[in-house]
Order: sequence, then C-alpha cells, then structure tokens
Amino acid sequence: MAKSLMIVDDSATMRKIVMRTVRMSGLDFDRTEEASNGAEAIEKLKQSPVDIVLCDVNMPEMNGIDMVKKVRAEVAGCANTKIIMVSTESSQDLIDSILREGANGYITKPFTPERFQEKLAPFMN
Amino acid sequence: MIQQVCFADTLLHAAQEVFETMIFMDLQPCSEPDRRLDGEVLMATITFTSSLEGCLAICAEKACAEAIAVNMLGLETGDNLSHGEVCDAIGEVANMVMGSVKSRLTDTYQDIQVSIPSVVKGRELSNSLKDQAQRVSVKVNVEDAHLMELSLLYREGR
Repeated sequence: MAKSLMIVDDSATMRKIVMRTVRMSGLDFDRTEEASNGAEAIEKLKQSPVDIVLCDVNMPEMNGIDMVKKVRAEVAGCANTKIIMVSTESSQDLIDSILREGANGYITKPFTPERFQEKLAPFMN
Repeated sequence: MIQQVCFADTLLHAAQEVFETMIFMDLQPCSEPDRRLDGEVLMATITFTSSLEGCLAICAEKACAEAIAVNMLGLETGDNLSHGEVCDAIGEVANMVMGSVKSRLTDTYQDIQVSIPSVVKGRELSNSLKDQAQRVSVKVNVEDAHLMELSLLYREGR
C-alpha cells in the first residue's frame, strides 16, 4: 500500500533534494506534502495526517525537536506517524534526546538514497 | 602549522563528500592557487561555538553558485533560477559542509553548536574574527570550471 510523506525543512532547496533522494531510493509515496517549519507542519498534520515525516532539526519559528514533542502530545491523528529527523547535527546526545521525545529515526546530512532506503523501508509496510 | 594543515584537509574532504553525495559535482583542489575570485560573489557563512568556536565561509563566483544551484535543484539550465534560490542553495552547501566538518572533529571537539547559515552578495568579500583567531582557506575547482573558496576561522572557545 502506498504511503504519504511530509518533508519539513526551512530550505526550499533542501526540501527538493530530500524529495529527489526519496525518489532515487525507490520508495513509493502516493501523496507528498511540504512545510517550512515545525509550526506550519503541525497545522498541516492536524488537517491531513501523513504516514512518514522527514524533518530538519534547526529551523526558525519552531525547530524539529519542539515539533516532535507537539506532534506526539497534540496531534491525535498522527499517533502512528513515523518521524525521521534529517539534519547536519550528529552528536549522539542530541540524537538520543530526539529519539526519547518520540522521533522514530535519524538521518545525518550529507545523505545517500541507500541511507533513506535503509531508514524508511521498515515503515513502508 | 600541523593543526592548520589538518583543518585544511578536514575542510576539503568535508566539501568533497557533500559535492559527491548531494550535489553530484566534482570538486578538486584549485590548480591555480594564486587565482582570485573575480566579480560578484556569494558568501555563505555559518558560525559555531563549543571548546572550538569560529565561522565557516564559502565564497563562490556568481556563475559557480548558479551552477551549484542548478545541480542541487536538478534543473536543466539556470535560466529561471531566482536569486533567492541561489542563495538558499549556497547556504545549504555551507550547512552541509559544516555538518561534515563537525562530525570529522567530534573526537577532539564535542558538542559543537552550529548557527543557521546566512548568505550575502558582493565583491571582494571576506570574513574575520577578532582576537587570536586562526584562519585556513582552501581554493577549489568545481567541475574543473568554477572557482570557489572555503575558509575556516577558529579559536579556542571561551
């Protein structure tokens, strides 16, 4: 069954790169959404939940960590949504704390299609 | 001196990783190290703090920045590129190179905090950091056609 995807990043260029890399990884999504920060993502998720969110960490207005907390606490329709963080931040302490807040995975930039395949494939069934 | 050589290598290898995996462009040390950036340039900077603090900068001639943006966005040509798209692309390059530098330094400098990148346009741009800052710079050729300069200003954190 095809899945839905949201890409959250303040850089429009990076959103396009993430989308291109998802396509190159061979993963199939029947609906894709974009948001430029955590607050915009939450508004969109309340209206229309998705299966998988790929989310940057450092963003203006609402960063990725706060977004994960709010989605888990306030967006009932996203109880089963998988949130994968995509960031240049690579410290293990930060990754551990984000996973504790409710994220389901972490991909560091720069990334490859193979990395997306490895991290997202378990959530595609 | 040894430390500066290491930082220069770190900077070059980080940029090569980003250009190979994310931008699909070849990046090699400049074959003419005395050549200077000419005309209008874009400079992306990103600051960092921890036990090491400073600023990473990427300076690219306008044509180079546009070529990078075209590749990053998967476009055929740069005919319809906006200035904002080019700035966004160069800022993201700085962000990713900083991320790669950070992961390469993590054994020596833990917990480096990184800012959001900013991009300015101008001529003969350079960045500086007062008080005991060291500077390494690496000039590179992108696709054997364009000139770009990477620099790292750094000092012990306070």
